[in-house]
Order: sequence, then structure tokens, then C-alpha cells
Amino acid sequence: MKQPASEARQGGPDAPATPDPTPSSAASDASAKSTEEKKGWRALGLRLDVRNLSLLGVLAALIVVGGITKPDQFLDTNNLQLVLTQASVIGVVTVGMTFVITSGGIDLSVGAIVALASVWATTLATQEFGFAGILFTAVLVGLGCGLVNGVLIAYGGMVPFIATLAMLASARGLALMITDGKTQIVTVTSVLDLGVPDSYVLGIPPLVLVFAAVTVVGWLILNRTTFGRRTIAVGGNPEAARLAGIDVRRQRLYLYLFSGLCCGIAAFLLIILAGSGQNTNGNLYELDAIAAAIIGGTLLSGGRGTIIGSVLGVLVFTTITNIFALNNLQSDVQQIAKGAIIVAAVLVQRRTLRNGEV
Amino acid sequence: MAPTPPTTPLLTMSGITKTFPGVRALDGVDLEVEAGEVHCLLGQNGAGKSTLIKVLAGAHQPDDGVINWRGEEVTLKSPIAAMRLGIATIYQELDLVEGLSVAENVFLGHEPTTAGFVVRGREARSAATALLARLGHPEIRAHQLVGSLSAAQQQIVSMARALSHDVRLIVMDEPSAALDPDEVDNLFRTVATLTADGVAVIYISHRLEEIRRIGDRVTVIKDGRTVAVALPAKQTPTRDVVALMTGRNVEYVFPERPAATAAGAPRPEPVLRVEGLSREGEFASLDLEVRPGEIVGLAGLVGSGRSEILETVYGARKPTTGRVLVDGVPLRPGSVRAAVRAGLGLAPEERKAQGLLMLESVTRNVSVSSLPRFARGGWLDRSAERAAAQRATRELSLRPDNPDARIRTLSGGNQQKAVLARWLLRGCRVLLLDEPTRGVDVGARAELYAVIRRLADEGLAVLLVSSEVPEVLGLADRVLVLREGLVVHRAPARELDEHRVLDLVMEGSPTP
Amino acid sequence: MPETSRRGLLFGTAAVSAGVLLTACTSNEPKEAAATDTGPVASDDKPGKAVTIGFAGPQADHGWLNAINDQAKSRAKKYSDVTLDITEGSNDIAAQIGQVETLINKKVDVLVILPADGKALTQVGLKAMRAGIPVINLDRIFSNPQAFRAYIGGDNYGMGVSAGNYIGQKLKGKKDAKVIELAGIDGLELTQQRSKGFDDALKNYPNIKKVARQAADFTVESGQAKMAQLLQAQSSFDALWNHDDDQGVGALRAIQQAGRDDFLMVGGAGAKAAMDAIKADNSVLKATVLYPPTMAASAIDLARTLGQSKGISGLAELEIPAQVTLYSAVVDKDNVDQYLPTGFR
Repeated sequence: MKQPASEARQGGPDAPATPDPTPSSAASDASAKSTEEKKGWRALGLRLDVRNLSLLGVLAALIVVGGITKPDQFLDTNNLQLVLTQASVIGVVTVGMTFVITSGGIDLSVGAIVALASVWATTLATQEFGFAGILFTAVLVGLGCGLVNGVLIAYGGMVPFIATLAMLASARGLALMITDGKTQIVTVTSVLDLGVPDSYVLGIPPLVLVFAAVTVVGWLILNRTTFGRRTIAVGGNPEAARLAGIDVRRQRLYLYLFSGLCCGIAAFLLIILAGSGQNTNGNLYELDAIAAAIIGGTLLSGGRGTIIGSVLGVLVFTTITNIFALNNLQSDVQQIAKGAIIVAAVLVQRRTLRNGEV
Repeated sequence: MAPTPPTTPLLTMSGITKTFPGVRALDGVDLEVEAGEVHCLLGQNGAGKSTLIKVLAGAHQPDDGVINWRGEEVTLKSPIAAMRLGIATIYQELDLVEGLSVAENVFLGHEPTTAGFVVRGREARSAATALLARLGHPEIRAHQLVGSLSAAQQQIVSMARALSHDVRLIVMDEPSAALDPDEVDNLFRTVATLTADGVAVIYISHRLEEIRRIGDRVTVIKDGRTVAVALPAKQTPTRDVVALMTGRNVEYVFPERPAATAAGAPRPEPVLRVEGLSREGEFASLDLEVRPGEIVGLAGLVGSGRSEILETVYGARKPTTGRVLVDGVPLRPGSVRAAVRAGLGLAPEERKAQGLLMLESVTRNVSVSSLPRFARGGWLDRSAERAAAQRATRELSLRPDNPDARIRTLSGGNQQKAVLARWLLRGCRVLLLDEPTRGVDVGARAELYAVIRRLADEGLAVLLVSSEVPEVLGLADRVLVLREGLVVHRAPARELDEHRVLDLVMEGSPTP
Repeated sequence: MPETSRRGLLFGTAAVSAGVLLTACTSNEPKEAAATDTGPVASDDKPGKAVTIGFAGPQADHGWLNAINDQAKSRAKKYSDVTLDITEGSNDIAAQIGQVETLINKKVDVLVILPADGKALTQVGLKAMRAGIPVINLDRIFSNPQAFRAYIGGDNYGMGVSAGNYIGQKLKGKKDAKVIELAGIDGLELTQQRSKGFDDALKNYPNIKKVARQAADFTVESGQAKMAQLLQAQSSFDALWNHDDDQGVGALRAIQQAGRDDFLMVGGAGAKAAMDAIKADNSVLKATVLYPPTMAASAIDLARTLGQSKGISGLAELEIPAQVTLYSAVVDKDNVDQYLPTGFR
């Protein structure tokens, strides 16, 4: 991973969004200049910044590696569909997680909520209500768990780490209680049909469409709404946000509800993908989602978040898994590589940020 | 600096300068400490005391200036380097590990060991016992858990830790703040023991009577500069010391008061009215009212309840009794949102910690309290937001005139203007200002005063808190003088002068 | 704020009604409940001396383990002279040791233990034996043979061998045949043993080459993900062995999604869903190699026999044997009807 790292490092200071590394005396000039340079991007309505660039570099390098080692299998439409499909479930979860982390919180219960929602939505009783029943149940269970998390954290004064850890344990337990450890096969054909090629819209799997929609909506909410702005304010300085008249507690409640909603949607996608519900679903999603958000450039301490970065983070992980599987490398090597990528991406990011804007 | 030829001073710091983004914390500070003396360092919050002692502890590197230690020039690259020289610092927030024993804390990081890693616990315990006895506190047992000790005892443990190194200078940052009177007596005895052994102590405190009791000499700093060096602690009149701390060393230009107020023309109804407001242990039965166009100032020393009053009025703290009315309508107590909705706005004392989103742009800091105004169904109209923020900041001549500039690249004065712009944009009617010029460069203050006066002229009611007496007197129309949570005097600012206020503020303190 | 409270009320009502609806949806009772079939009971099933059997197993968080519990329970129910004292399953070694000790203190007649970890539970097995309670060690073997009176369990290596031989026979005569393997959790010894057996069996067929292997983790989700990748990596192959029918649900889903049917698939363990698919013969799944949970029923039989101090009919021995290792039979279309009742859900 040395190649992309050095590329990104050199690319960093030339990037349009990077202000001059001048100390505060000349800060006004520097930021004024960078503003002018940024206008091109703003016209596009997009603000790609340094963090995203370094991760794009990593992704580009991975694509080169995949293209060289397995040109036939890697560079084809089927594989693109495959990678994006596999990224959708965890991707949707990561969008929710990005909001929570941006607000200075953490949600360790996402994997367990996905498991609970996916088994609750696939019981024989739920399946009798067909497509709507499954979708409705998955989303509602997600929202319900998010509500509990949110109330405990915002109004119960619990630390997010502890509250969501408790939710992790209870949701997993409840999922096991519902399934009795059995795999719940889905027989509702309208749900199953969404997972097979016949349902692709212009070659795009429905799961990927949902993922894309959640990403776009997430991006808009974070960057274009009062909700997003309040999320960033609460994460950046909760005391200042409170004294500025923001209802910090209500905002926190909504954030965990949102994360729960994302988990519910992800559970529905997983039901389509796996054609079943199982209490072991969503295993370690919390770690994958946190890792993707962090390498994407969202600050673990809150106050800064990027949906684009998080999605790139998810794609990097999914692409690694894909390349390794295509080359028939085993899980041990995959896990080591994943750890190395996390370290490398964060190091590159810190470097470019330090060169750029502290 | 007065030369003392026969003995080289233990420590000489001269021309120490330290700049942080947006503010010059130290601007050429001088300090000289002799072996075996208690040297008091005086200054208001934000004067630069903590930065100075962090430089001395090796935690901050000065931009400029020279440090001489026992006659030799040294650089204190790290806390460890400072400790090796024999400089120990006891911070206000004690850095002890509560889950470890007294002996383990005393020798943390330099435990007596066998073969480099096996701790010789018994030896550590007996050495710690000896140190505690030397400090006159044999009642603290070496095996006790630090978490089970009182604050005063923990302080003694910190001192024992300092002594466990071969220490020649101990810096104590407000050691008496958390202590009861008899514990303070104990502390003073311990300090006397130390100085008798030739150890020098730099003692920081707000309590002038303490300084008088144990201090040998006093250095006063203000706005990052030394304003008085090595005054005799016992002889200098209290009023002079306080005047040095709070007085102006630059003549600020205060804006003219509008003629209408001066002439006593028909006055509008008060917009803010506070009735019998109290908070247990902080302040009691406060009554005040502020009219549109009027600036009311609260003057008092640290601990007089100034900031607590503002935060309670604002709903950030819940009052024990009393109420706050805006236009005659009582506010829900303890609710910031109710206060903001009623038209109150606060510029808090700790601007960075309580006021600003340091990662964000000027626009976002200004608009944060008015977001719904730029939103339709939650969707922000960002160009309208940016334009409105720019209008507000231009009105206050915030520089740079760039709404996208990161707030942390701005100077202290411009950061304060961003906070004011926030409330201006919100359309607030009562502005609560807590130490508005804290951390603001001297040159930028006059401009900030002008801005505050202009806002009042435009019809805002302003309630101002400041520890700088000339600031309150120069800016406010009416002044309330506070001592220990009680209003001791009310008068129009024109009828007061600095000396009178200082006398009121310190009544009861021993005056020689 | 009347507006807010009305909104709050609406929200509250919606939440409560949704909650009620949801709670009704946790039911998993099928329309016609099918009792678990544990096969014919032991020939000597005349009621004898009353026996209390203590049963301690791991947490049933997986289809196969759940089937183990079901098998033990329904088998015990068939004997009027057997009382089954079954503990809450636990994956925590310390908790399971505690549960076994409780059973010892209760002075059950015979213990059946499926340890969360064979090595870790050996001591408590020894303790029971010394207390005079015979122990039937189920599947995960203790490290000391003195810790059990009898062991009964599956054969992971043999499972791989059966799968390899079945595939070898099916691909006989096919030149340059390609085989891929979807393994279970790689960190488990049993996965390594299964893979080794599979590889060893394939050595008998020089025309076959294993071209790819990926490890899933016994979950449907991982089965789908890993299989999807394998299918993309291998544009054509002849046979697939999947270690576990639970993850096989996901693997079959991936195969369906990729629209592939150019190979034969062999499963593992013997889930009912897999057997149904084999019987229907409308997918690539043609066979599954058993790792039968009926061993739990057999363990109850052995425990009862021990408790009543009898031998096993059909053997000349007076005492029951110390170790029974089960054969991993291959279930395909021809014999599926015979095994279908033992399939677990």
C-alpha cells in the first residue's frame, strides 16, 4: 500500500481544497485564496476534500491491483455489480454510523439491530403479511431499537458506549430467542425476486439503488439541512451548541433513531440478499462501520463527518475482500490486509491534514 | 530587573513570549525567584499565569525569551527535562492516580527497583513515609489509596512526589482553592518547612490575604505582561496590588454614552428583569433590570458570582429561588432554549470551550442559533445563510471579511465578534456578555467596546460582566458591585471611580 | 405547545400500535407443527429402573446445535423411565462447568455433556466420574479418556472423506475436473479436519483438481458473500463442497443470484432444507454429507442403558463400548426419504 500512500501525500498539497500551510498571521489571505479556488467545486455542489482524495487514491490503487492480478474476473460488469451489492448492506449501516460519530457518539449495537430486525421480519408470522410485512417490521424494529438507544443516551444520561453495548447484548439475545438458533428461510417471492438479476434496473441491482439513495439522502441531510448542521455542532462542541440554543438532547435522540432506521433498512437488504433471517446476521458490523467511517475521514471525537468518505471506506473494504477472494487468498490474509489498510489510510490522512490545515 | 550581585537568583525568566493562534498569551514576561523564598504570582484569569507555569514546567515551548537556572541558560524541552533540573509543578487538577497507593504515587515513574523492573515496595513505602514526615504529615500512611484521601492530603502527596525528586523549586497553582481554612493553615506550615530547607516556592493564588501571610515577594502579570516585579509581599498596599491586576496599563478609548441616557430623558420599559434570583453557595437575592439601549455592568472579583449570575439568567444553570422575566413574562428556569426564544443571547466567558465550533467556518458559527430561518422544511438555503452571516459580520467589521474562513484562524477579538454576530443575526434583544475582552489583544479592545456600545444604541439591552474595573466603568451606564454573591452597591457608572469600586469589592479584606 | 403535544400523542399512538403488531410477529409456530423424529427407539424399550439424565450443552445459536437439544429432549420423552435434567446452554466455559457441577450435586444418575470446549471441560468430567456418575461425552471429546465412560460423536475428517469420494465418483472419467470448497470458520479445528479429509479423498482421483477454497463462518450471510465471490472468481467448475448446510442457504442464494447451474453441489451436516432441495432435485444441490445430530438421541439411549446397567443389543459385549464414532453417510436423491425425518431446521 506504499504506492497510493505516497501518491496521495504528494497529491494532497496541490489539491484544490487545501489552504496554504501558513500560520495564523497570514490566515486571512490564505483562506480567501482557497475560497476562490474552491468555487469550481462549489459550482458542482460537491466539496471533495483532502480526506476523500487520499481514500480515492487507495481505491484507485486497489483497482489497479485487481486489474493486474485478475484482469478477466475483476474488470467486468458482473464483478462491479457484485462488489456494489456486497457493499450495500454494510454501506447503509455506515451512513447511519457516520451521523452518530459526527455527533460525538458511537453506536455499537448496529450489528445486533440488523440481526434482530432481520429475524423479526422473517418469522413465519411476519412472512404471512408478505413484502410489506417484512419491510415494515424490519424498519420498525430498527427504529424501536434506535429509540431505546436514543432515550437512554439523551435523556437517561448514559454514555453512548455503554448504552449501545447493552443494546448489542439484548438485541442479540432477543434475536436468538426468536429464532431458537434456526435459520428462517424466506418464502415470499416478491422479496426474493429483488435479489436476482431479473430485477436489475438498467443493470443496477435494487440493493445498490437503495444504497445509493441512502447515501445521497444522507449526504444531503448532513450537508444541506438544519439537522445535519446541528449534528456537526453537537459533535464539535456540545456545550457551545447548548449555549447557542440547540436542543442537544433531542438532537441526540434523533441521531440514534436515524442510525436505527439505517439498520432496519440494512436488515431488509440483507433479507433480500441472503433469502433468510438468522440471529448471527450482522456479525461485527459495528466494527466494520466504525472503521469505514474513520478511514473515510470522520473524526471519532465528533464535529466533522463525511458521507462520501464513509462510502469510499466501505468500498475500499469490499474491494479488498473481492480481490483477495478472486485470488483465492484465505481469510487470515484478508484480515491482516484490512488492518494494514486501516492504519495506512489513517496515517495518510493525518499527514495530508497536517500539511494542509492542521 | 534589580540586580542582586551577591547571590545568583535560582531562576530568572526574561522576555518570555508565547503566541497561540489568534492570541498572544505571553508578551515579554519577566520573573525572578530566589532560593528559599515564597514568590507569589498574581494575575487575573487569562492574564497568562497558567501559560507561564506551563513554560516553566516544560509543557509549552516559549517563542522567545531566556530562562536562567542557577546562573545558566537552559531550555526546558519537556516536563521530564524540567523535573530533572529540579522544577516540580503541582497543578490545580492534581495529577495523581487514585487507584494507587500513596507510596506508588510518590514514586510513580521512578520507583526503586531491583534488576530494573521489580519494584521494591517496602523501600518505596519507607521512603514515602520519611518524605511525609518531613512535610509534617505523618498521619498520611504510605500504603493508603490516594483515592481515599482528602483534597488537602492529596496535595501533600503531590508535594511529597515533588520532593522525591531532588527538587529546588515547586510551583503551586492555586493550592488553597479547594481547602478549608484549617487545611490552609496546614498547607502554610508545610510550605514553611520547604522554604526552610532552601526550596523555592512559586505560589499562585487569588486570595490576597494568603499572599500577605506567606509571600516574600510578588510579581503581578496582566495581559501577558509583567506589570510589577518583586514587590515586597507584606508591605505593598492591597489596593495597589489589585489596581495592578485589574487596572489599565493602556488607556482604552471608551465610546461616548448617548446623550439621551445622560440627560435622563423618558426611559423605555425594562426588557430584562431579574427578581430575587439566588443559587445556593454562589449568589443570593439578586434584583436587577436592564432597559433597551442600556448597558448594565456587574463588577466583582473572582468568586463574587459574576459568571454564575449570567449563566443562571441565561438558563444554563437552574436558580434555587427567584425568576427571570423578559418583557414581564417569566422564563422557564434552567432552560437555555426558553431564554434564547425569548431573545436572550450569551457571549460566554470561555469563548473556545463554550462559545465556538472551532472546526467550523465563520458562517456556521454565526448561523448556528438561527438555522430555521434559512431552512424550508429543514433544507438549508446556504447562500442565504452565508449572505446573512456576512451581513452580520460586516456590521461588526469582523476581519477577515470572509465568511468561509475557519473560526480558529481568527484573532480573539474577531472570534468574539463572531459570537456577537450570532446573536445579532438571531435578532436577540438582551445580550449577556461574560468577560467580553478576555484574550482579546489590547489594540482590538477599543473597537470591541465601540461595537458593544453601538449595539446598545440600536436598542439592545446589555448585561456585562468583567473583572476589569475600568472596563465596567468605561462601558456600562449603571454598575452593580458584587462581593461574595451579594450586590453591595449600585450606582450610575459616572458616579464611581476605580478606587471606590476596589474598596467596595474588597471591603473586609485586611487592608494595611 | 399544543402542536407539539398533539404530534407527540400521534407518535406515541403509532409507536404503541406498531409495538403490538410487532410483538405478534415474533411467532415462529408453523401451521402444522412437525415433531422432531429421532428414529426408532432402542429395541429394548420396556420400561426399567427410573433413570435421571443430566444434560449440559453449549448455547444453541446455530441450527445443528439446536437440533442436538431437540433430539435429546424428544428422545428422553419417549422413555417413561427417563427424566431429563437439561441445563440452559452456554458458550461460556466457566458457566458450563458450574452447570455440570450443579448436576453432580443434584446426584443425577448419568451425565451427557456436549462441552463448549472439550479440553476445558475435562476436569469437571473427571470430577463427575470420581463422584460415581458415568459421563457420556458427546461430540467434542475430552482430553482424558478417564473423564468419560463412553464417547459418541461425529467424524469431521470422515465427513471430508465422504464428500471427496462422492464427488470423485460423480466426476469419474471427466478430464481436468475442477472442484471448489466453501469451508466453515477457519479458526476451528473441525474445519481443518474436514478440509484435510476432503483433500485426502480427492487424492484418489487424479483427474480432479481443487482450484479454490474460501472460508465462510457458518452463517447464511457469510455463505452468500463468500459464494458470490467464488462464483465470480471461477467462471466454470464441476463440483462444490460446502461444509455446512446453514451457510449453504446463503451459498445457494448466491448461486441463484449468479444464475449458475453448471456444477454439482454437496452440502454438509444434514439440514432439512438441504434434504428438501435434494429431494426436489431442482437446484445444483445433489447431496449432503451427514454430521448427524441424532447422536444426541443415541447419547440418551446410551445414558439410559448405562443407568439401567444393561448392554447394547446387537453387540456381543456385556458392556456398552467406550467410544462410538459415527459414520458420515452421504444423502442423495436415492436415499433422501430415509434420512429426511432426521433433517434439522
